[in-house]
Amino acid sequence: MRVLHQLQSKFRLAGFVALFAALPSMNAQDAKKGKEIFDANCASCHGIQNRGAGPALKDVHLRRSEEWLLKWIKNNEALRKSGDAQALQVFNDNGGSIMPVFGSLAETDIKSIIAYVKEESAKAPKKAVVPPGGESKSDQTPDSTLYVLLALIGLFLVVFLLLARVKRDLDRLAAAGQGQEEEAPKGNIIQRLLPGPLARMNPVVLTMFAFSIFGILGFVQFYEYGITEVGVQKGYAPDQPINFSHKIHADQYGIDCKYCHSSADKSKSASIPALNTCMNCHKAVQARDKYEGEISPEIKKIYAALDYDPEKPANEAYGKNPRPVRWVRIHNLPDHAYFNHSQHVNVAGLSCQTCHGPVQKMEKVQQWSQLTMGWCINCHRQTGIQVEHNDYYEKLHEKVKADIAKNGDKSKYKDKNGRIVVTAGMNGGLECSKCHY
Amino acid sequence: MRTINIITFSVLSIAVFSSCIKSRGNNPGLEYAPDMYDSKGYEPYNQRDSNLINPYGMNMREPVKGTIAQGQMDYFYPYPNTNEGYEAAGTGFQMPADLQDAEGRGKYNYEIYCSPCHGLTGGNDGKVMEKVGKPVWPNYQDAYIKTLPVGKIYHTLTYGKNNMGSHASVLSPLDRWKVIRYVKELSGTGTVASDTSLNQSNEVKR
Repeated sequence: MRVLHQLQSKFRLAGFVALFAALPSMNAQDAKKGKEIFDANCASCHGIQNRGAGPALKDVHLRRSEEWLLKWIKNNEALRKSGDAQALQVFNDNGGSIMPVFGSLAETDIKSIIAYVKEESAKAPKKAVVPPGGESKSDQTPDSTLYVLLALIGLFLVVFLLLARVKRDLDRLAAAGQGQEEEAPKGNIIQRLLPGPLARMNPVVLTMFAFSIFGILGFVQFYEYGITEVGVQKGYAPDQPINFSHKIHADQYGIDCKYCHSSADKSKSASIPALNTCMNCHKAVQARDKYEGEISPEIKKIYAALDYDPEKPANEAYGKNPRPVRWVRIHNLPDHAYFNHSQHVNVAGLSCQTCHGPVQKMEKVQQWSQLTMGWCINCHRQTGIQVEHNDYYEKLHEKVKADIAKNGDKSKYKDKNGRIVVTAGMNGGLECSKCHY
Repeated sequence: MRTINIITFSVLSIAVFSSCIKSRGNNPGLEYAPDMYDSKGYEPYNQRDSNLINPYGMNMREPVKGTIAQGQMDYFYPYPNTNEGYEAAGTGFQMPADLQDAEGRGKYNYEIYCSPCHGLTGGNDGKVMEKVGKPVWPNYQDAYIKTLPVGKIYHTLTYGKNNMGSHASVLSPLDRWKVIRYVKELSGTGTVASDTSLNQSNEVKR
């Protein structure tokens, strides 16, 4: 009996020791499990430090009793219906948005969640390390090769002329030293620098000749620029009011172009997205991890334009005084040329990149194509249109088939590689009045 | 030396002139006769001259409150953006019985507007979802989606709910219904349309 008692007390002691030893680790275990449950069930609406669709949960264990929290999480609807003052208060404070009922969560699960929230509340708000001035200024290196080249040419010209002059003077001095009769330099500097036969030419003719060469070079230069640069805005990449990165959105997150430019397949313009489209994600995505727990300054610009307060319940509408964002237009066809996006996107099935270039790789959008008439026409001449199984071109398809059957000559419809192709040009894509009217 | 001066001056002036007509960065370059570029009529995004009549110089305007454009009667949605409206839509609002979607517009639009978050097959595994925060149901096979009335989905698409925003500005009412039908197909509870497997490039007509 005594032995048994001893054993019992020993066990009890061991049990106590084990309990105490296990307590911190059990807590940690709880919080860890709580994090899992929290991420799966709560994180879509609640943050610890910041609010999402639901309120921030920091120090919620101090604000509410555990008993109340258990009831609320398990079935907040029943709690509200029972007339609990706190529950109604929470409901009204959050714009009347309904929290789902989590009847499937066991009591221990909820306790784990509370343990996790407790642990997270104790932590200071996360501070990410951002080096001061780490925000990359848009370092726009101007295309300076032309300047440099011209400056170098000018410099060499001056040096060459000076050296030639020095050489000539030295030669003259040497000749004078040897007692030879000094020839007085004749004509202008160009004549003096030029070799024999040219130098003997009439100075007026020579000067005109030099100027005409110079003039031709200048004209070629002007012509080249006139044709490729005047009115052609290829490479235009203006600063936008919000530093929106297509690279992050379209490449990293793989969002379809048409998510934002939603009318590209429906109408003439591809549409700048409404700020509402930004808010579809940016109500929740605030990039706080990159800005020391603050909302990203670029996302703040969206909020400012919408007069939206991110600390308010998310189901509430935007502010009273929204303003549009004044984006800078990049692609601009002349008024006398008609262009329709839906015709190209929807009917022809072109991808956006065909004309706009790899926008999904651009941090800052620039005009990729020339958008000149020659550029349009080239594509209309070369690109085959899909006539088969395309309701828009059924008539054309019939016409082509009939034509081939009648003449027995397919060569008209063959491209360089011998494939049978009906181009946009054959369908009237080269007619003036298709685009200019 | 005068000749040299003339040459240098000419070279430099060509350089300066040609550099200012080249478009790059914030410089749109030189435009010949800009009045041929800018529309006198109002275009949606014409920016050269601010519109003097409309607020904020915009050319586009919202329709007057309470009006419905001709042929767009289906834009009329009677339920308010409240919890009561949500519940009422669940019981009272039904998919048009004669909904046709031979061109697979539902799938097409789902892949553009829904898949960034909800994933291509409704697994909530889109790339954006990690940032936004997962919804409480794991995928479209979940009982929650299977039993969710179409009216409630329509309500959510129209007004947004929790982390999801309103998609009313990008999806027409008819497109919304087609998307909803496709969602129901994904969750295995809807009618599977027989002819949605047409080639992508053929789904051109609306």
